Amino acid sequence: MNTVSRLWRSGWTVRLALLILLAVATLAVAGPAIAPQDPLAQDAASALQEPSWAHLLGTDYLGRDVLSRLFAGAPASLLSALAAAAIGLVLGALPGALSAFVPRVGEWLALRVVDALLALPFILFAIVFAALLGNGLPQATLAIGILVAPGFFRIARAATLRVRDSPYIDAATYLGASAWWVLSRHVWRQVAPNLVVAAVSALGGALLAVASLTFLGIGVQPPAPTWGGMLSSDLGYLGQRPWGPLAPALAIVVTVGALNVVADAARDVLGADAPARQKEAVRV
Amino acid sequence: MSELSQITAPAPTADAVSVSPHGGTALGPSFDEGSLVRPAAVEASDLVIAAADGSLLVHGVSVSVRPGEALGIVGESGSGKTLTCRALLGILPPGLSVTGGTVRVDGVDLTGAGEREWRDVRGTRIGAVFQDPASYLNPAMPIGAQLEETLRVTARVPRRQARERARELLDDLGIRRVDLVLRQRVAHLSGGMLQRVLIAMALAADPAVLIADEATTALDVTVQAELLDLLGRLRAERGLALVLVSHDLAVVAQVCERVQVFRDGRVVEAGATSRVLRAPGHPYTRELLRAHAAYGLERFLA
Amino acid sequence: MSATMLDIDRLSVDYGRVRVLDAVSLRVRPGEVVGVVGESGSGKTTLARAVLRAVDAAPESRILVDGRDVTRLRGSQLRAWRRSGAVQYVFQDPLRSLDPAVRVAESIVEGLRIARVPAGEAERRRTAALEAVGLDEDLLSRLPSGLSGGQRQRAAIARALVVEPRLLVLDEPVSALDAASRDRVVRALIALRDDRGSDLAMLVISHDIGSLAALSDRLVVLDRGRIVEDGPTRRVIARPEHPYTRLLIDSVPLIHTPTTNRPLPAPVRS
Repeated sequence: MNTVSRLWRSGWTVRLALLILLAVATLAVAGPAIAPQDPLAQDAASALQEPSWAHLLGTDYLGRDVLSRLFAGAPASLLSALAAAAIGLVLGALPGALSAFVPRVGEWLALRVVDALLALPFILFAIVFAALLGNGLPQATLAIGILVAPGFFRIARAATLRVRDSPYIDAATYLGASAWWVLSRHVWRQVAPNLVVAAVSALGGALLAVASLTFLGIGVQPPAPTWGGMLSSDLGYLGQRPWGPLAPALAIVVTVGALNVVADAARDVLGADAPARQKEAVRV
Repeated sequence: MSELSQITAPAPTADAVSVSPHGGTALGPSFDEGSLVRPAAVEASDLVIAAADGSLLVHGVSVSVRPGEALGIVGESGSGKTLTCRALLGILPPGLSVTGGTVRVDGVDLTGAGEREWRDVRGTRIGAVFQDPASYLNPAMPIGAQLEETLRVTARVPRRQARERARELLDDLGIRRVDLVLRQRVAHLSGGMLQRVLIAMALAADPAVLIADEATTALDVTVQAELLDLLGRLRAERGLALVLVSHDLAVVAQVCERVQVFRDGRVVEAGATSRVLRAPGHPYTRELLRAHAAYGLERFLA
Repeated sequence: MSATMLDIDRLSVDYGRVRVLDAVSLRVRPGEVVGVVGESGSGKTTLARAVLRAVDAAPESRILVDGRDVTRLRGSQLRAWRRSGAVQYVFQDPLRSLDPAVRVAESIVEGLRIARVPAGEAERRRTAALEAVGLDEDLLSRLPSGLSGGQRQRAAIARALVVEPRLLVLDEPVSALDAASRDRVVRALIALRDDRGSDLAMLVISHDIGSLAALSDRLVVLDRGRIVEDGPTRRVIARPEHPYTRLLIDSVPLIHTPTTNRPLPAPVRS
């Protein structure tokens, strides 16, 4: 893809981030398969061990290999984050873009609803959701998706508004184009870069959200490993194994960091949100 | 040669048009017969402006305007006319600099001057108005407050008197209902009104020179006519030296008794307006006149 | 084919409580070029857009294009009428009236694609339109940013021409251009006028009387939403009847050099 190659060329930090994301993506798909040991195999005798050749990242409080759990837990966290971002995109972007064409009343409603959702503290919302619909990862994912949607709504709406008043949109309209033609031929091209950047950032945010929820125990089905869940249980044994939480924490931080770096670079490369040049004003 | 010109150039009066039997071109395109007789209110000699990479944008341009005189500068965008004006104000864009020639404003030599020296001169000895008036004003403040600010800072008018002075200035410029106008924000005022306010600001500290760079270009033709009349009146009343820059030869012809034609960073023709219009020396000037002939209204009114 | 191409009858347009156009009546005959001159706030752009039915007219208004009453057209009927290409529009700002991300070749035939005209026919019409405006074929593969202002404007005119309109509405077609480009575009329009004869009428809106005068058979003067003068170009400029027209004409700066009326040279291919 042209964009990826442009991103690759934009600096060493981006290159590093892309490589990290490639590794993370591999884990998301094949994590459990490439885990060196059975992530669920308990061995009380070798609990809470330091890293060794047998267990590269040590063992947790039940003697399970941490590295394997990290690998095996990757899909749950990562794919949930991906799903949440995708849900947010679909729920938010299309209504956002359309709201730019709908007269005042529709706009006002859409904006107020969006404002309300943005004001909700997401953890509270997720907990309520879990209480209502059950404590599972799919439900948690849906909750995050719904809370991420307003962000996409706003970005799609803002980008569409910027485009909507351009003469070339009017030109297409005067040629007899339908709203769909205008949206798919002209608006999409201008809105897409913003959405791509937003999606990458949202992915980072969603991952953090999933990790936070699984940390709190929402969406966790023990003994299945999740990064947030690992972090939570490791914290309980800080005394015996102070470096314990570092593994899942770094996994989360590094992934989110890499996503943010790529999002920033994508913004530059795709020219999303390029501000109009201001004329130089001179006071004499 | 200069002796001969001094004998034939008539004594200057506020609206005398200097005509030399040689015409401007005989003595070189930049030479201008009017410049010999009185010290200039503003002048640049052999001005060279270069970009950061060394390429020349203005190649040895000479401009001079005497007190009470109006000089028109005509050229398309990229001709160097705006850069020359900016050099006369010390506001060249970053990366560009004056690498040759001299600049004098109201007797003060500003060649190679630093920002502090320019600040002393701007507003007090030389003022300017530009093309898009709204972009030079703060949209969030009433324009009265902005005018008062200019008065206090540039003209050093004490705070208590600033409001009264602001009223006087706008009144001088022929604005009716001055108090109402002073209270308005940019969005509620027309382009013509805003430009008058900016002219007021430019003249607040009573400078000797006013540069109007495409000041009427974005305005309706009736508003333009009013503003050109206003500039003419201000020139007569205050003895202001006026530099009127436009891409439209006719605008310049209406107000200025001398004109210089810029092209590609050089002055290709200079002289009395009436002479240049009647007997242009340079092909480019002739081209400009032809273009005007095709679109001007003379052919309907002749 | 009707006797009038465009018949605007008592057109009034309100934006909220402000009456932007007040009982404007105007007729354009087939093949005629009518120039509408007005300053800011005159309502001239609203008038132009009203012809394309892009603004809603007050109840007593009527707009007839080529004999058909289009005043109350909406929705799919409106789109169908626009696709039929009876009227087309050229915008003021050539920089933004072409999608910056779309190649010029695509932009020009957009109207035909919307109307589902087959590719072969579309290409034929595009070639004809390019020739009519004097644009080179090898500019087609560029993006709008790769063209000069004058070329962009001519591309926009070509886009309007491919649907073979009988009426072209141009809103300040040369205001955003420098002198050389303005000249080229005006000449292209004059060539169009001369070549197409009664097949193409034009309504040109501008604040620049000079360019309008070069192009128009008739001049209409718009002052704050009302038409104050309507007559042959030459007469309106030389002997204006309304005080506002007189003010307008008097305001245009002259060079005091009387010239004889020379015909403009033949259009030049860029």
